[in-house]
Amino acid sequence: MNLRVPVKVVVVGFGMVGSRLVDELLRREPEAFDITVLGAEPYEPYNRVLLSDVVAGRTDVAAITMPLPDGARVSVLRGVTATGIDRESRVVTADDGTTHPYDHVVLATGAAARIPPIPGLRTADGGLPAGVHALRTLDDAREIVAATVNAPRVVVVGGGVLGLEAAVGLAGRGLSVTLIHNVPSLMERQLDPEAAAVVRSGLEAQGVAVLPNCLSSEVLVAGGRAVGIRVKGNPDRVPTGDGGAAQRDEVVAARLIIFSVGTIPETGIAAEAGLSTDRGIVVGHDLASPDDPRVHAIGDCAQPPEGSRGLVAEGWDQARRLAEKLVSLVEPVFALVEPVSSLVEPVATPAEPTAHLRLPHDAAQPSMAVRLGALLAGGATTRAQSDRGIDTRGTDVVKVKGGPLSVTTMGVCGPSRPKGATQRAVRLADPAGGRYVEVVVSDGILVGATCVGDPRVAADLTAAYTRRTPVPVDPAFLLLTPVMPTAAPASSPEHMPDDAVVCRCNGVTKGDITESCGAGAHTVEEVARDTRATTGCGSCRDAVCGLVDWLQETKNPVPEPA
Amino acid sequence: MLASPGTTVDSHCPYCALQCGMSLTRARTDVTAAPEVQPRDFPTNRGGLCQKGWTSAAVLGASDRLVTPLVRGASGELEPVSWDVALDLVASRLAALAAEHGPGSVAVFGGGGLTNEKAYALGKFTRTVLRTPNIDYNGRFCMASAAAGMNRSFGVDRGLPFPLSDVGGAQAVLLLGSNLAETMPPAVQHLAGARAAGGLVVVDPRRSATARLADPASEQPAGGVHLAPVPGTDLAVLLGLLHVVLAEGLADRAYLAERTTGFDDVARSVAGWWPERVESVSGVPATELRRVARLLAAAAPVHGGAGAYVLTGRGVEQSTQGTATVTASINLALALGLPGRVGSGYGAITGQGNGQGGREHGQKADQLPGYRKIDDPAAREHVAAVWGVDPETLPGPGLPAVQLLRSLGTPGGPRALLVHGSNLVVSAPNASSVIERLKSLDLLVVCDFVPSETALLADVVLPVTQWAEEEGTMTSLEGRVIRRRAVVAPPGEARSELWILAELARRLGAPEALAFPTDPAVVFDELARASAGGPADYSGLSHARLDADEASGGPGLFWPVPAAAAGAAAPAAAVGTAAPAEHPGTPRLFLERFATPDGRARMVVVDHVGPSDDVRPGAPFYLVTGRVLQHYQSGAQTHRVAELERLVAEPYVELHPMLGFRIGVPDGARVRLTSSRGRVEAVARWTDAVRPDTVFMPFHWSGIGSVNQVTTDATDPVSGMPEFKVCAVDVTVAPAGAEPVTPPVEPVETLATSGLDKLDRRRPIAKELST
Repeated sequence: MNLRVPVKVVVVGFGMVGSRLVDELLRREPEAFDITVLGAEPYEPYNRVLLSDVVAGRTDVAAITMPLPDGARVSVLRGVTATGIDRESRVVTADDGTTHPYDHVVLATGAAARIPPIPGLRTADGGLPAGVHALRTLDDAREIVAATVNAPRVVVVGGGVLGLEAAVGLAGRGLSVTLIHNVPSLMERQLDPEAAAVVRSGLEAQGVAVLPNCLSSEVLVAGGRAVGIRVKGNPDRVPTGDGGAAQRDEVVAARLIIFSVGTIPETGIAAEAGLSTDRGIVVGHDLASPDDPRVHAIGDCAQPPEGSRGLVAEGWDQARRLAEKLVSLVEPVFALVEPVSSLVEPVATPAEPTAHLRLPHDAAQPSMAVRLGALLAGGATTRAQSDRGIDTRGTDVVKVKGGPLSVTTMGVCGPSRPKGATQRAVRLADPAGGRYVEVVVSDGILVGATCVGDPRVAADLTAAYTRRTPVPVDPAFLLLTPVMPTAAPASSPEHMPDDAVVCRCNGVTKGDITESCGAGAHTVEEVARDTRATTGCGSCRDAVCGLVDWLQETKNPVPEPA
Repeated sequence: MLASPGTTVDSHCPYCALQCGMSLTRARTDVTAAPEVQPRDFPTNRGGLCQKGWTSAAVLGASDRLVTPLVRGASGELEPVSWDVALDLVASRLAALAAEHGPGSVAVFGGGGLTNEKAYALGKFTRTVLRTPNIDYNGRFCMASAAAGMNRSFGVDRGLPFPLSDVGGAQAVLLLGSNLAETMPPAVQHLAGARAAGGLVVVDPRRSATARLADPASEQPAGGVHLAPVPGTDLAVLLGLLHVVLAEGLADRAYLAERTTGFDDVARSVAGWWPERVESVSGVPATELRRVARLLAAAAPVHGGAGAYVLTGRGVEQSTQGTATVTASINLALALGLPGRVGSGYGAITGQGNGQGGREHGQKADQLPGYRKIDDPAAREHVAAVWGVDPETLPGPGLPAVQLLRSLGTPGGPRALLVHGSNLVVSAPNASSVIERLKSLDLLVVCDFVPSETALLADVVLPVTQWAEEEGTMTSLEGRVIRRRAVVAPPGEARSELWILAELARRLGAPEALAFPTDPAVVFDELARASAGGPADYSGLSHARLDADEASGGPGLFWPVPAAAAGAAAPAAAVGTAAPAEHPGTPRLFLERFATPDGRARMVVVDHVGPSDDVRPGAPFYLVTGRVLQHYQSGAQTHRVAELERLVAEPYVELHPMLGFRIGVPDGARVRLTSSRGRVEAVARWTDAVRPDTVFMPFHWSGIGSVNQVTTDATDPVSGMPEFKVCAVDVTVAPAGAEPVTPPVEPVETLATSGLDKLDRRRPIAKELST
């Protein structure tokens, strides 16, 4: 029996973070909320992170469709854009004329691709000319894929994570790709120039022509179609030995141009409702607007105090934290019900949170980052405390989905690395080998890393970073896949130590076999009878055979031909 | 009936579920002398035996073998008494407890090593004589997650729904959490095909002996791929593999449409598990995930491959997300179109000797014989009719093992426990709290053939027969029902549990009609009738038919084997008349349909959360546990074999040299592991076979070397299986002057039958070396 009046939650935006919030709420309290979701895109929710994989042809478009929320109290309106929030009467209005009353409204409107104001980029109706795309929506990805058929030459503008992924992906499709970046160093938010240079070589090895320190000054359009782009050296930058790039002024022909030069948080609806906005919608640690505790923002549209990197892991962590908060807000309802019912009989025991297949201990299972953060902060594990001390560690791992090009950064890396003495940075630079690894260690814990060109080390570093496992005494060991010197497979039985186990199943060593032959055994069968070697799985039969032959030879040495 | 002196009988190894065929030759001299063991050609072991099998006869003559009933006397010591005294005492105490506190005050704990007949009789005794719901068994520690996952997806749980030898023809085998090169070595033969094709994929945080078969760094030529995820993240790896299969369009769409339900939801659920995210969670590089997904798909029938198998073991099942991990394995196999096709499939590698049969005949908390559900009215009616009791008198479902053990001696919980074929003190998770619960009981009765650590805590110890001293049947990991045969007489006054249960039933006033036969063949016939119509249908089988099939070199009999006559009401009537054709058994399940109501396999959405006891400051390392080749489970048997004990004489902790340096524990020093539940100590072994964030310790020892003092008893919400395989620990150098690691046991020398006396001089295996 549920005596609670469901709390009305309106979620504006049905992207990865909005849908995640719905999922997090339903996992915890499937009955406590009436949820309405307004999604501007007409599609089912999809995994935006994988759009670059769609472009690269690495994934089937159908395979990026995300789960629909399953709950009786959820209604999802797709292709419906929220047009306003009336905070006075607590109603969200939509472009289809519908209105949606709320107790809490969650803005998860995301961010739009930034399109720079350059000549030729806007058509008369304000759209982009044919052949020019951002890479932000499923439509963008589909159109880019369609365009690759008739566009052998592509320009990607923007050498950040997404630009790199698009460039490598399109090069992998066999297209001729030019990557234009406005500053000398690729991925300059995450990488040191030295690391970026290794990445650039990696891109070039994939067939991508890289034009760093360049601005796109004009898109050339013919017959309504983009046909090329004018590229100029960036005058704000001092040329850094790049062949006088600052003087560059050239046209790169391309019938497909992809802009990946950052995003602009979708803050319009919040601003119109009189809420504070800056770069994004301003929220506090509790993800609520300082102007209205019933309005929350998460994901790319939000601007929390700790800042935002535009990574989905951050948005998901915010969705989880907000869900915990909203759930905690409905709990006081029990307190109101309890005294009444306890007078009569305990009829309204609060329903156990229903486990959604596998999430039995939600309260005890905040994300690893928060759990660890809370513990580190003072040994406290309660939800309330973990929510106060926000620690986003583990949500800031950046992995470029670049096919053969492996680039991973996390935590303290590149320009964010302070020069302080408390942190110890150790690096391995191997530009000729396409490799650059740097680890940053503080208090025996890995606090940041950059890894280019070594996927295995990158995977190990990620595990160590997100779990805060103690690092080796010498952090330099983190730069390589740790291996112990092992005995190389013996080239001849002569070099095999006597205690080498030859037959695992029966624990028979070379010494045992030598002894058996010494005592008169001549064949594998006799050795097997004597020692049980080969009588388990039989995998060692060849090895035992070789040993027996060798032992026979050494016993009756064949004279060397003169 | 024993073989005459000098003759040879065909039987099977007493240890694991591979049930290797062996021939036992009775000594010419003494009827109780250990028989000579020789391997025998049998489809699972193909003439191979590991060291445990070769030396198995030594346990028959263990120097501390229990040969008389023991009762804890006034002195507090266990003292020999007659069977009458012991049984009268047990019966009167049980009756008094039931009278005072109700039937639920008595609990029973069975084992996956018991024969089918014993497991069946134990369940029947519990439900009809004791009438307590409180029965479960140590299979809850091994097979519960696999069982729950297979039942949910396929509608039936037979570990391998195909003969093991089928695996030999596969082009790819994905092996998750199984170290079979160590736990059932002769089974490695069946991986030869996949290894030759470069298609063996082993998922294990350790580079185990099995992982080395796949690892290019260890084996030349490389047999495949070894993925070493962070402990507790295998589920994420599986979700990532399925993601790649779908993203790259490698799924078997026709099969999915025709033979499964739930695909769309599962497909959406893995859209959020792209390889780079899985890499962040599991530490397995995205490139490796893609490679493995392609390798498996290429082997799948839909892409013209020679076949692929997905196989799971305890490493992934003994987890709070064990059922989910099994389900994800099945989802992956279904997406590739493997189950229900000859030469491909999903299977769980059962561990204990009769781990399969042990979970079918009614010693599980929620179950009646024939793998029936105890809360199903039709099942209750059928079984009650076979037993000659009113269905109303049968108790309902009881508590699963961990919860049952936790409730012992607590207010309202059981006050007496009967233990059969299990050494809980060593094998249960969070063992020190289990010991505390056992000590709080009014009455602990342990049936065993050696004084196990659990038996030493008992108020009454009853000596029982083992292996080569008894007749019966076992059901192997592939669902093949096989015969165990007696070749020697039991020592002293040791008796079969069948006799003990019959005697207790009589003393507890069971009516004449409620029979407890002591002839295993007769018990089997009753078991067969009770199983008729159930998922695990044995009704077409008898000891005689099994013997005849074996004698004629038949292909073996795999359940279900329903009785021949369609109207099986009077099977006796068929004798003498034209016998209808016997059901040939079912080597391969699901070829036509799955055992679900609509005949389709169910794909179920699961998600990865992570281990219940994750690393944190104060416990920053993962502990994983497992086995070594030379020892079996709690070691009650193998510690008593001198040859095995010499090779691996004491527990140890594997740790990476980087960790050793970090915490100041040199190779060979004594190391201490501490969790929030307890601590253990053992010798440190440096090896790069473990991840630097992980330590490994085998679980065959008791006392300060008993790793289950540290493991967590958090359980899977679906299967009730505890999370043995991963927890968070601190690793430190052990302080000086600690207690000795292994309690003294006097092992028995193996019979020197064919010049094997040299084996006695072997030194301990300290390290693994590949050749």
